[in-house]
Amino acid sequence: MDAILQVDNLTKQYTDFTLDHVSFSVRKGTIMGLIGENGAGKSTTINAILDLIHKDEGSVTFWGQKLSSSKQLKEEIGVVFDGINFYETLTPFKVGKIAGAAYRQWDAQLFKDYLKRFQLPADKEIKSLSKGMKMKLSIAVALSHKPKLLILDEATSGLDPVMRDDILDVFLDFVQDENHSILMSSHITTDLEKIADYITFIHQGKVLFCKTKDELRYNYGIIRCGATLFDQLDKDEILVYRKDEYQWNVLVADKEKARKKYKKAVVDDATIDDILLLYVKGEQTK
Amino acid sequence: MKSLVLKDLFNIGHNAKSMLFILVVFAVAFIQFSNVESYIFVCAVLCSMMIVTTFSFDDSSKWTRYAMIMPISKKELVVGKFAVLVIFCTVGSLFGLVIASVGGLITNKIALELAGIAELLLLTLTAWVMSLIFGSMSIPLVFKFGAEKGRVLLLVSFLIPAAICFGIYQLLALLGIVLTDQIAFILLCCSPLLALVWCYVMYQLSYRIFEKQEL
Repeated sequence: MDAILQVDNLTKQYTDFTLDHVSFSVRKGTIMGLIGENGAGKSTTINAILDLIHKDEGSVTFWGQKLSSSKQLKEEIGVVFDGINFYETLTPFKVGKIAGAAYRQWDAQLFKDYLKRFQLPADKEIKSLSKGMKMKLSIAVALSHKPKLLILDEATSGLDPVMRDDILDVFLDFVQDENHSILMSSHITTDLEKIADYITFIHQGKVLFCKTKDELRYNYGIIRCGATLFDQLDKDEILVYRKDEYQWNVLVADKEKARKKYKKAVVDDATIDDILLLYVKGEQTK
Repeated sequence: MKSLVLKDLFNIGHNAKSMLFILVVFAVAFIQFSNVESYIFVCAVLCSMMIVTTFSFDDSSKWTRYAMIMPISKKELVVGKFAVLVIFCTVGSLFGLVIASVGGLITNKIALELAGIAELLLLTLTAWVMSLIFGSMSIPLVFKFGAEKGRVLLLVSFLIPAAICFGIYQLLALLGIVLTDQIAFILLCCSPLLALVWCYVMYQLSYRIFEKQEL
């Protein structure tokens, strides 16, 4: 079986929000990006995947097994949240001792190597580390028990571009091993554009699409046009549209076809950011 | 579970100096102006209260959520807290015993004789039992209401066991059973067992509360 993580019909109801039958899978050797605006349900999805909240419906399996069925499964999963989860007076050395006592697969030498690679002082208290360094420490902990799947919830949020780039390189290194995979939620879509193989877009608790990044990058386009041309567009081809002050922005799934068909229109490439923005703020024809 | 205990000991280690300072101040106050016996109780109870502080540290770093993604079960997490409490109570009682003995000898409040030493040891055991009972009562309260409210409810964790003891005492009086020195001695000897049973009940309660929680 190729899917490391299989999520089927994941549903969780709150009074003001519903995670509605979310399904997707993360395949071996790939990076899956989970995108969506703040409050779309990305973190709820990850929390439900990790059994941190009770599911109302649906199933989640890692290598075909439920997380609650085996402790060993947790050894194979490294998780990084958007902050460090160790108290601020601890040092990276002590963090290593704590994590080392929890994981059977813990590799103390590997942890040391990561501290060295990330230039993290072993004896400095966490509170004196920068946000980027704290994040690197979290990543070092997550990688030092040799997981096969990394789950990252907004792990690069709040970091400067240089630090983000460093961290993304670490993730790319990780998936060099074809048995490794990453599920990464982020609202910084440029990060995902750099490293993700697949993108799952969650909007208002529902999966809008789950596609390869290349399909989005190479096929999706935005038609920029006036009202007259907009009226002439084939409404079946419009995924979503948004009217700005002077023009209509129309998202289509096949930009080359649109370029041939609507010669007077400007058809731009669509970034993931553009797609997200149009889906969140735009309207659908059907 | 080793990881959980280690984490709490590392975390609380940072507060050790201030705790030591408080205990030294109390030593001067109690041994000089009161009696050595009460100092042992103060040490044990103060140290047992540190269990609530460990929850505050966990809350501020969102540790509990993180612990659940490690190969640690909810059961182990709860057991870990009780294990740490036992360590705190033991350290507190022994620290109290040592300082009270030294202070008592200096101030001539105790003498180096077998009966006196035996009495101090028995008091240390009682202090350990009491601190364990109070501390273990606070654990389900903190799991239920969180560390901040739990601090306020610490008083409850002292009042409930005290009320139960008072109730039993009244019941015995009603039944015409007089608490002689011999019965009291037997009860004291049995008290560690009672404390452990109490801890088990509190563990079950804590686990049931924590099991249902979303993190």
